[in-house]
Amino acid sequence: MATPKEMMTTWDKIQFGAVLPSFEDPANKVRSKFNSYNYKVADWRVEKPVFNRNLCIDCDFCWVFCPDSCFEVEEVVNKRGKKQAKIVGINYDLCKGCGVCVEVCPTPIKSLLMFSEFVENDEALKQWPKKEDKKD
Amino acid sequence: MLQIRWHSRAGQGAVTGAKALADVMARTGKFVQAYSVYGAEKRGAPMSAYDKIDDKPILDHSKWMIPNYVLVIDPSLVFQEEIVDNTTEDTVFIVTSHMDKDDLLSMAKHLEGRKVFVVDAIKISQEEIGRAIPNTPMLGAFIKVSEVIPFEDFLVSIEDILSKFPQKIIDGNLRAIKRAYEEVK
Amino acid sequence: MATKYELKSKEIWDGNTAASHALRQAQVDVVAAYPITPSTPIVQNYASFLADGYVDGEFVMVESEHSAMSACVGAASAGGRVATATSSQGYALMVEVLYQASGMRLPIVMTVVNRALASPLNIHGDHGDLYLGRDAGWIHLMANNPQEAYDMTLCAFKVAENKSVRLPVTTNQDGFLVSHTAQVVEPLDDDTAYKFIGDYTPMNPMLDTSNPATYGAQTEEEWHFEFKASQHKALIDSAKVIEEVFNEFEKLTGRKYNLVESYKLEDAEIALAVMGSAYETAMVAVDKARVEGIKVGLVMPRSFRPFPYNEIASKLKNVKAIAALDRSCPMGAMGALYNEISGALSANGQAAIMTNYIYGLGGRDTTAEHILEVIKETNENAKAGKRVTDLQGFINLRGPKLSFN
Repeated sequence: MATPKEMMTTWDKIQFGAVLPSFEDPANKVRSKFNSYNYKVADWRVEKPVFNRNLCIDCDFCWVFCPDSCFEVEEVVNKRGKKQAKIVGINYDLCKGCGVCVEVCPTPIKSLLMFSEFVENDEALKQWPKKEDKKD
Repeated sequence: MLQIRWHSRAGQGAVTGAKALADVMARTGKFVQAYSVYGAEKRGAPMSAYDKIDDKPILDHSKWMIPNYVLVIDPSLVFQEEIVDNTTEDTVFIVTSHMDKDDLLSMAKHLEGRKVFVVDAIKISQEEIGRAIPNTPMLGAFIKVSEVIPFEDFLVSIEDILSKFPQKIIDGNLRAIKRAYEEVK
Repeated sequence: MATKYELKSKEIWDGNTAASHALRQAQVDVVAAYPITPSTPIVQNYASFLADGYVDGEFVMVESEHSAMSACVGAASAGGRVATATSSQGYALMVEVLYQASGMRLPIVMTVVNRALASPLNIHGDHGDLYLGRDAGWIHLMANNPQEAYDMTLCAFKVAENKSVRLPVTTNQDGFLVSHTAQVVEPLDDDTAYKFIGDYTPMNPMLDTSNPATYGAQTEEEWHFEFKASQHKALIDSAKVIEEVFNEFEKLTGRKYNLVESYKLEDAEIALAVMGSAYETAMVAVDKARVEGIKVGLVMPRSFRPFPYNEIASKLKNVKAIAALDRSCPMGAMGALYNEISGALSANGQAAIMTNYIYGLGGRDTTAEHILEVIKETNENAKAGKRVTDLQGFINLRGPKLSFN
């Protein structure tokens, strides 16, 4: 995607010093057109990562490594009464399908795998490799 | 002058594809220019690459062109209206899609009334080469549609250009090229 | 002994590949570099040539461009043939050491891929870095396409290492427009290219421990002026050596380069002065203008330093109006080409009407149509016999017309 035409400012109207305002209205946190949150990369995907909650150990590697902050987390209290981040899913508006999360996922059978864009997530979860598959 | 514009995502090999095409055409005695326009240098970011092919040395170094062919090697970029920028009624579009032409045209209104050819270069490259690198299948489709040189001559040149790769990659690319040549419509 | 690289008579190379093959064929002893876009592939290719056994030399990894040029100065004073590559911010960081290299008269060759200087950050081509290094005491050669990037790099070694010159040389090519544009290049074979450059003869090498020498001594007011004057004379006089090298290169390849390049200037009434890839685009514009009956020609200094004042003035003696196109924002003045050419004309009693245009900053596209507009405006000045257009204009700038008088 090229720069949107409405953002092609002329020399007489351009912001001094190439300073891009993140908010149009900082008090009310109204994002400006230059805010990177508005730059979606979802249409870059050829394949998508699918998240399998049942296998996840909440190591948060995917959350750390994801270059587009796609991983959605929930704050939960663990058995020892400590606060912990629980990975609950992927924001597919932000994910560009780079596959880094799958690469860093440490579980014996990965809790993140890449699937074709056209496979439904429920269907993908059914196709997930089983432990027995691995022994062969 | 024959002018070709590629639309792709960084990492899909449009630059390599454009250079390979330039190399093939230069071997027939033509003068060539292959270049690309880089934006955000990130894998996956949309980018365009260009080929100019002529009988005399190419002096114009500006990026602007009116393409005779537009090659779109990423399925999602087909829906970006920028692919029709600076084109004419005679411009031929060869696009990558898993859809057939009618379904595609019903969704991509900006291609209505245009000369459009469709090939699923992503699927072909995934199946034949093992990765989604749709540049060489697109070249196969382009040779079929444009008939700029005989397909046999093209295969000889491209095999030589690919010769720096392992045999498995060369074979996969040649299969992908031949399949795209057959499947484009 | 390095392995020979098999080259075809015609290769499809971009400017970076062309420059890196020239470095390989020169069998450089030491390359110290800190890669930066768009010149990264020059360094990358050189490192892989070295790893694959095509070069006998050293590649020094450094932590910045300042260190890269410092390592080059060290290696060159030790007595090696030395080269590096850089662009933009890297060039800017090197500037301090560029003056050291030229002051110590070290024949280092630097393949520069021209890129805009921040801020705003921009990776694309303009001549901001070249103009920054203008007074650094280096010879600056211009290349307009990949073939010239290859040819100029070969010639650069021969010029730099000439006993009467012994000055560092940069070869300049436009970022992306040349460096990443693949075109047909006709290379020399390895033996012929090396023979053209010749073996390297060190002068006062520091590694010659039987003849100890100090480089970069402190001079103060007793000596400094004399050193600088002799360095300046060497740079001015290097024009003759550049011509000799170009002549020798023509005998070898049939490709003729000149201190001042020109196009259709013989019967021209107006002229454009422009450097880099836009010179070739301007050739297309000149052909279009001539179809419309405008007698226009082009001129380009092949060596930006030494600047060929008298040669350029004599080429322009019959034109009535000249537009100088600078690909760098002069920030509060006229562009360098405008200034140099105006000076060259005045010194020779010539009085063409001079105007200045700024174009292509940060890689902004400049087409033949844009240049045709400039030709038409310049023709208005020639017809009127006085300046009727603005002194300084901007080509393909978005927004209301911007110009200065």
